[in-house]
Amino acid sequence: MPSVGQTIPHDSAVGHVTGQAYYLDDMPSMAGELHVAFVPSPIACGTLTGIDATAALAIPGVAAVYTVADIPAHNMFGPLAADEPFLADRELLYVGQPVAIVAAESRAALHHGIAAVELKYSEQQPLLTLEESIARERFLGVERRIARGGEIEAELKKAPHRLSGTFHIGGQEQFYLESQAAIAYPGEDGQMVVHSSTQNPTEIQTVVAEMLGVGFHEVVCVTKRMGGGFGGKETQAAIPAMMAALVARKTGRAARVIFDKDTDMCSTGKRHPYLVRWEVGFERDGRIHALKYDYYSNGGCSLDLSPSIMERTLLHSDNAYYIPHADFRGRICFTNLPSNTAFRGFGGPQAMAATENILESIAQHLAIDAYDVRRANVYGVTDRNVTPYGQIVEKNHLPEIFDALAASSQYHARRAEIARRNANDPLTLRGLALTGMKFGISFTSKFLNQGNALVNLYTDGTVQVSTGGTEMGQGLNTKIRQLVADEFGLDPARVRLMATSTEKNNNASPTAASASTDLNGAAAVRACQQIKRRLKKFAADRLSDKAEGLTPSPRHIVFADNVVYDTRRPELRIAFGPLCDEARRERVDLGARGFFATPGIDFNRETGRGTPFFYFTQGAAAVEVAIDRFTGELTVARADLLIDIGRSINPGVDRGQIIGGFIQGMGWVTAEALTYNDKGVLLSHSPTTYKIPAITDVPIDFRLSLFDNDDNVQNIRRSKAVGEPPLMLGIAAWAAVKNALTYTSSEAATSLNLPATGEEILRCLSFQVPTHPGSPKTAYQA
Amino acid sequence: MRDHLLLFINGEQREVRGGDAFLSVSDYLRLRCGLVGTKIVCSEGDCGACTTLIGRPAANRQQLDYKPVDSCIQFMFQLDGTHIVTVEGLRRDGTLNAVQQAMVDCHGSQCGFCTPGFVMAMTGLLEQQKALDEPTLRSELTGNLCRCTGYTPIIDSGLKCNGADHDRLAQLYPAAPMLGAFASTGDDELRLETTSFGVQHVACSPRTLEEALDFLAMQPTATIVAGATDIGVRANKAHRLPPVILDLNRIAELEAIAVGDGVFRCGARASWTTLLAAFRQAAPAFARILQLFGAPQIRHVGTIAGNIANASPIADSLPFLLVMEAVLVLASKSGRREVNINQFYHGYKKLELKPGELITEVRIPLPAESELLQLYKVSRRRDLDISGFTAAVRMQLDGDAIKQASIAFGAVGPTVMRARQTERFLVGEPLTLETMQTAGDIAVNEVTPIDDVRGSAEYRRQLTRNVLLKFYYQTQSQLAAV
Repeated sequence: MPSVGQTIPHDSAVGHVTGQAYYLDDMPSMAGELHVAFVPSPIACGTLTGIDATAALAIPGVAAVYTVADIPAHNMFGPLAADEPFLADRELLYVGQPVAIVAAESRAALHHGIAAVELKYSEQQPLLTLEESIARERFLGVERRIARGGEIEAELKKAPHRLSGTFHIGGQEQFYLESQAAIAYPGEDGQMVVHSSTQNPTEIQTVVAEMLGVGFHEVVCVTKRMGGGFGGKETQAAIPAMMAALVARKTGRAARVIFDKDTDMCSTGKRHPYLVRWEVGFERDGRIHALKYDYYSNGGCSLDLSPSIMERTLLHSDNAYYIPHADFRGRICFTNLPSNTAFRGFGGPQAMAATENILESIAQHLAIDAYDVRRANVYGVTDRNVTPYGQIVEKNHLPEIFDALAASSQYHARRAEIARRNANDPLTLRGLALTGMKFGISFTSKFLNQGNALVNLYTDGTVQVSTGGTEMGQGLNTKIRQLVADEFGLDPARVRLMATSTEKNNNASPTAASASTDLNGAAAVRACQQIKRRLKKFAADRLSDKAEGLTPSPRHIVFADNVVYDTRRPELRIAFGPLCDEARRERVDLGARGFFATPGIDFNRETGRGTPFFYFTQGAAAVEVAIDRFTGELTVARADLLIDIGRSINPGVDRGQIIGGFIQGMGWVTAEALTYNDKGVLLSHSPTTYKIPAITDVPIDFRLSLFDNDDNVQNIRRSKAVGEPPLMLGIAAWAAVKNALTYTSSEAATSLNLPATGEEILRCLSFQVPTHPGSPKTAYQA
Repeated sequence: MRDHLLLFINGEQREVRGGDAFLSVSDYLRLRCGLVGTKIVCSEGDCGACTTLIGRPAANRQQLDYKPVDSCIQFMFQLDGTHIVTVEGLRRDGTLNAVQQAMVDCHGSQCGFCTPGFVMAMTGLLEQQKALDEPTLRSELTGNLCRCTGYTPIIDSGLKCNGADHDRLAQLYPAAPMLGAFASTGDDELRLETTSFGVQHVACSPRTLEEALDFLAMQPTATIVAGATDIGVRANKAHRLPPVILDLNRIAELEAIAVGDGVFRCGARASWTTLLAAFRQAAPAFARILQLFGAPQIRHVGTIAGNIANASPIADSLPFLLVMEAVLVLASKSGRREVNINQFYHGYKKLELKPGELITEVRIPLPAESELLQLYKVSRRRDLDISGFTAAVRMQLDGDAIKQASIAFGAVGPTVMRARQTERFLVGEPLTLETMQTAGDIAVNEVTPIDDVRGSAEYRRQLTRNVLLKFYYQTQSQLAAV
């Protein structure tokens, strides 16, 4: 029976539930292994004038202290430009920046050593807010733009209605449970093996080699699994890996770096906060005529991936809606904060939230239901189906998805009920919103859309597969296990996915952009096909019977149910294992490397036009919220999700991705607030103060349906990417809060920013107290 | 005098002495036993990844009662005479237990890092013979965070185990030999010592209150530890342990609970789990707040005296205890005295507690049937969150007029405070919306909130006003329902 399409358990599930699945800090320590951590900058902006390690080195058990002066070759690194220091070099850029590295025999000695390193510095006024950065024009990189249609100011004037505003969008901590970690093992003759909790082993190999000043061939990076990544380990696993490698090189001993959660949150980048200035012109029925965006993202102290993230923002400003006249511009702002980085959605969520905010505002302005406004704007199937960057939205199911979800969630009946209850309930305020989602699948940097895989067949008929993709819980290895099992007609249990290693899979792209099954799965299938061609030829000979007139015919050979046979004589079967053994004896090559490059995608960054995406994953969410009118406390009461993920390779895995992504998005738009003081110190740096959703935050009434769809023929087994798209469905929770506020006063709803924390909601509610009978007459401004 | 701990880990007897006794339980498991299935994420009891089951002898001394605990903020020296079960210790002859199998079948794990903690927490529910229905799973798994799954597959896993009869840990690890080993140690005093980086550390675990007070008289500045849910976090974050520790975990007499004559009496070491169960009858409003207090892993070990003595301005129990005029019994070698909790706090973390004194008992007068009582806890997230604002409003009506009013606010100043001016204003006024609006005007001038990570001063002032209005609407709907 084919495995693809079946729900089989995660390939590490038994390891997870028994505690046997190992993560970096679970690896046994080598004799002489050193514990490594760093001395952080205490200030956000200033000049480092000295580092005194005398006292630290005097502590028993402290083995070494290293600074920028000890780096063999390169200190500057970065995925797009080498503009980020590994260790501070005179300039202090953010609170928590690594300044010196301490290596010690024990964790106790390490902590004493860190505390004993003395830093000398002079402090300057840090740049901490987007507003200030914009005012001082402290930008990183160049302005990026996507536009189409007429001159935007003229088009805005043509529209019968116009609205404009400024929208603040907060950042988000990835909060992978396993913090950043690396272990480096020094090898002979300058070689180095680095085990890293990274989504990007090739990048770790590269930065470690460059930092050490050796060829890439001297460094191997191995990633068995991550305890979560969410984008936060796409580039930012680099610093811990370099720390471990530097100590290993200098001391000749194994070196282990395990960030604690507070250190991780204080010193690594997050989802970019945005400031969005918008202006929209629209028709009497709510249809958008012209839309102008000026995006400012908070990049932190260096580029990291910010330009690519801003690019995806511009490419998702339409979300699920047709915008005839568009002018979207984006700038990245420098601030004295850790460099902000990838996080599930990669700039898409900010754009889509901004657009959903505008659609709610249009509905409020015209006093028509927001669903009708959205439905009027949704991309068409045969017309109104070209994005602002010129890509046609092919196989568009958005109109069907909207209609189906409005019906299944009983949107209109519940809307009437909510209006009735809001008029009579003095304690609770309710809101409802149905938002759309269209997410483009592919890296927008064309060259990254490639995958490679190594497939090794053994003589008992079992298979080991290694790909450039990394497993962070998303089920990549499980899906590839199923794809490979089906190619050879085997039980999935006969296929084992191995640790990712640059030794087996070189020049790999990061596991990101939701595309890892598409890329690495397709590469694995291609490797299987090469082996199958050889095996079919061998089996055709082996199963032929010239006397009976059965000539060898590879095209009649079938692999299924762990056996191999010729369809012309199906009763004669060879078990797959013995066939492999015989094939090896006849010197048939039972290993292959497969390669896949996504066809047909191209995007011109300069003109802002092209076909950046292989296809789109689409969906919609209807969310109802209940708000305590007096405290602003929020309950997400019900969520209905409908999403088109094509033909699912593993419905169990995909369901987990969708629900998990939605809840993560819901967290971003509600309770996950990052708080800094005026010195640039992150105050919410652990789960005590940074609140990701808990089990009770999951809506009591939670309904998920998959939109049945068979037409994504260009992708592997007609599947669709599922990693990032569901996160954007969480925006419906925020839109529902905004909708609830419209039942109190227009000012209340207009000023709602993201996230809608209890405090933010109460701030909006305090514009005017509830409008039910017997409500207080005066507004309270504290 | 014994210089080592005696305990069991996954059925294996261990003696723990010297520096090892001062390790956190999770460090001991990971570093000394190689049991790395217990994961560390936050080191502050806020994520549950390190959840292990701690079995303690039941009152009948016939069996062990297992409860899930955050092992990252428990010290080994607290666990003499216990059985620690980790995720590695659940399989029987290589077969997954019911929870493990359900988590595999229902895709309850993705990255897998939170998974051992969830498995232990749910196995703990089976041990406590709780139904694994959705309301129970939601209320009992608040101490475990997951960033991948959105929890629904984990709830599905729990539901799959519901109703069936599952193997208990007692079948895997018979209690009798362990109880026998514990009994053989006798009632000797336990004193653990080590030296680390030039600092001498002592932890003393006496059997009786008398011995504890003797120790305190000699070591008046000792850090008193029961559940360690605060001190454990501080030790992890500062990488420093207090030098002298008085551990109350072996003193049975401090655990008692009794209700009579309208007064709730409990020993200092009564855990929030036992208190929550008792208050469901005695004061349901307080039980509802306790349901939001920490998480099960915290409530199993955290104690009432710990919450009182930690003296946080955002302690969840204090607004209630203040408006109920709770009385604290303080004991020292030289005698006992009683102090009303409203006289216990002199300033930020400044207590009416003399060196050598210990809180031994808390007496809480219970609200009368006729009283109006509402408690408020406002936090960024509903469960497992430290409050951004707390309040208690208690009233006695005489017809329409307010006869008595007690109001306490937390997180609006250096201590949890009584709003005395507001209370004085309310007496004699009719309970109307106008009255409560005016009360808000007065109260907002009594509070002195600050901006911090959990909210702005303005937000807290707004909440100060709003809970008084909310109280009015809540009582209106209550009175209408009567």
